[in-house]
Amino acid sequence: MSILPFPSFLDDVREKGLKKAVFEGIDETVERITAGMNLSDIRAALRGDTMRKPDPRLRPHADSFWLHMRPGYFHKDMTGVYPTFRLGWLSTYFVFFETVTGLLLMFWYTPSPDIAYGDMLNMLSNVPLGQFIRDLHRLGAEAMVLIVSLHMMRTWVTGSYKKPRQFTWFTGILLLVLTGLLSFTGYLLPWDQLALWAVTIGASMAEATPVIGEQVNLIVRGAPELGANGLLRFYLAHVLALPIFLFIFTGVHYYKVIIHGHSLPPKLENIGEDTAKRVPLDKRVYFIPDIMTNEILWMSVTTFIMVVLCVWFYHAPLESHANPQVTPLGTTAPWYFLWIQGALKLGDKFFWGIAFPTVLIGVLAVMPYLDVTKSRRYAHRRISLSLAMLLITFTTVLSYMGLPEFAVATSAEREILHVLTFEPAHNHVGPARTIPFNQAAPGMYTTEQFNGEDLALVMEEMNQPVIWNVVSKDNPVLNTYATEYDVLRNRLVTLDYAAALPARFRTVPDDAPRLREVLEIFHHDLENEAGELADSRGFIVIQNVQGNLKRVDFAIVWNAVEVENGVVLRNEDGTAKLRYLTDNDGNQVVERRVEALHFYLHADSAYFD
Amino acid sequence: MATANPSKGELAERTSIAKPTQEIAKSAGLTVDAPTRREFLYYIWGASIALLLGQFGAGLVWFIFPRFKEGEFGGEFPFSPVDLPVVGDVPYSVAAGRFHVSNTPNGLLALYGVCTHLGCLPKWVPTNTRFECPCHGSKFQGDGSYIEGPAPRALDRFVVTVTYADGSTAETDASGGPVPLDPTKAITRIGVNTGKKVLGPGNT
Repeated sequence: MSILPFPSFLDDVREKGLKKAVFEGIDETVERITAGMNLSDIRAALRGDTMRKPDPRLRPHADSFWLHMRPGYFHKDMTGVYPTFRLGWLSTYFVFFETVTGLLLMFWYTPSPDIAYGDMLNMLSNVPLGQFIRDLHRLGAEAMVLIVSLHMMRTWVTGSYKKPRQFTWFTGILLLVLTGLLSFTGYLLPWDQLALWAVTIGASMAEATPVIGEQVNLIVRGAPELGANGLLRFYLAHVLALPIFLFIFTGVHYYKVIIHGHSLPPKLENIGEDTAKRVPLDKRVYFIPDIMTNEILWMSVTTFIMVVLCVWFYHAPLESHANPQVTPLGTTAPWYFLWIQGALKLGDKFFWGIAFPTVLIGVLAVMPYLDVTKSRRYAHRRISLSLAMLLITFTTVLSYMGLPEFAVATSAEREILHVLTFEPAHNHVGPARTIPFNQAAPGMYTTEQFNGEDLALVMEEMNQPVIWNVVSKDNPVLNTYATEYDVLRNRLVTLDYAAALPARFRTVPDDAPRLREVLEIFHHDLENEAGELADSRGFIVIQNVQGNLKRVDFAIVWNAVEVENGVVLRNEDGTAKLRYLTDNDGNQVVERRVEALHFYLHADSAYFD
Repeated sequence: MATANPSKGELAERTSIAKPTQEIAKSAGLTVDAPTRREFLYYIWGASIALLLGQFGAGLVWFIFPRFKEGEFGGEFPFSPVDLPVVGDVPYSVAAGRFHVSNTPNGLLALYGVCTHLGCLPKWVPTNTRFECPCHGSKFQGDGSYIEGPAPRALDRFVVTVTYADGSTAETDASGGPVPLDPTKAITRIGVNTGKKVLGPGNT
């Protein structure tokens, strides 16, 4: 007769005593949660004891949801670093990593052009750990692309795509494409310059699709011009549509591993055999606990590396607010899409932007059905392995061609100014922006500081008037006698801030080593381009605008040379042909040119070199 | 199998290689029975579901297709004749309208500033006296004509209307070529219609 009107725990206590009843209760609960392993099973597994029969370590794989996607044991020869390098597991871990960091970012993000960029700034400056989470998400995305690609190359090299794993490979290629698309849709979201122009190029590529190109382009952009609708569409694709497909195909990919087992290192099997599903008893390494703890170790080490990188070495770049009126110089795709940018420079946008990547991905996807040779041994797969190396070489060359140095280099003075001052793009920033605020002492500095032994004499010469022959639309200066100081001051310095400027060129103060370094870089750049920039001088002008804001101007003054189609014309002796103007008296005088570029330095801005 | 008196060789050939199709199909297990009524109805049912899903797909495209009116974007931009460059000089760029006004020896052009390749904005580089696109390196002359790079055609143009002091006007024609300016007349107004775009001539 029960104490309560129904059988209960209290009956157990009366029957067995409190201690035993509680222990049995816990034991049973644990067995239910693990779907088959009670406390003594778990302890036996952790101690490495001989397990009871039937092996309870296999029960969770048969009966539980979480482990039904993992094999119950691995082949011993599969558990080393070779042949998998754990790249598959790490890819999966990054799917999880990106999902978690992405969900956290969603707390502070609104997909609207009016708000998105402000949200970024808020996250960087106001939200505790905001920048850290953003860095993790961005670096994780890059790591995921890298690891997924390496995973594919590894599978290719060990021939693991062969029968019976053809479809596993196929879903793997789908996952690679989805990883690329997720990364691409992700970078519109901050609504900075990189975002806007990368996506403008991407959507314009879609437009090159034959027949339905214009419709595809409109559906992607959400309007004739990229705006609120387009941002919302990319956001939905990034946080909803693409992840759903990614999760589904990750599941399919994993299920295929359960079905076919892990392919063994090629030399361990007879040619044409697949013994992955027949693991001899003495070769079994059980998932519980060996593989599981090993995977947790890999996750922990990866997480640790990500955290260390994001705390000390890496910060996700953020360029200035998207501006549909200016394409920044040196607009580049992130490193993993440089190969497409390189291909696009070769010509027809349909061929290189649509047909070429589609065929490449398509051939990769069906590769296991084309390469039906039986042997997985390296020595028997010379063609296949050569093709793999060819693909790597080809992508490397195309990626090089994607760099701005290839076919996009502009005139020397613009290159120099741009390279010195560019905003953070990917993982680089112009050196000028790394000058600490307190080292940016107001004044006018010149690269002539590094010419000649006697610094005082050099500076004295710099402050002497010279003849100017400058032509610009607004103020032609011809045969004017003035110091470079005055010319630049008139051109670059706003009257309101002029009072604080020293009245002549000065040398860089000793307590501004970074400013000096930047001036020296500037000096070397000009020397390297002496062929195009004859008799050039570089200047840095720093003005106080507000208490916590400084304007930094970079200017180059040089004798113009004749250029035709971007190529400098040369005299017979190899020197550049100077460009002459006719002055008011009909004399031929050398044209002197000025090109300047400025940015603002804020007391709180801290860029990393 | 074999019909009228084949020779020995022919017979061997037929039996080994040229078996009748039906027989080959049978030996490979490829014979196909006609569908039963029940089976046929399943196919019809499946096809109708496929059709329905197709309709969903078409509806989805219809649903997410952006809504805008033709000509909603762009309009007439007044361009001050004061800013008109001297013939052959550097084109005058109007950032807000994303166009450059170029005064060529053949006449006036309003060049759409968007690269004909993939939509970036080429910038005028004074040293090289040409437009250079920062994305994939297409280059264009001051009159918009193609120099080099992956762009498929010269810069596109907007229709320009020039109004002279005597009330006469000149307008970009359908070819999109330059509008010849009459140097004897004073220009009172220049309008650039960013709603009317004429594609640039293709590369030769």
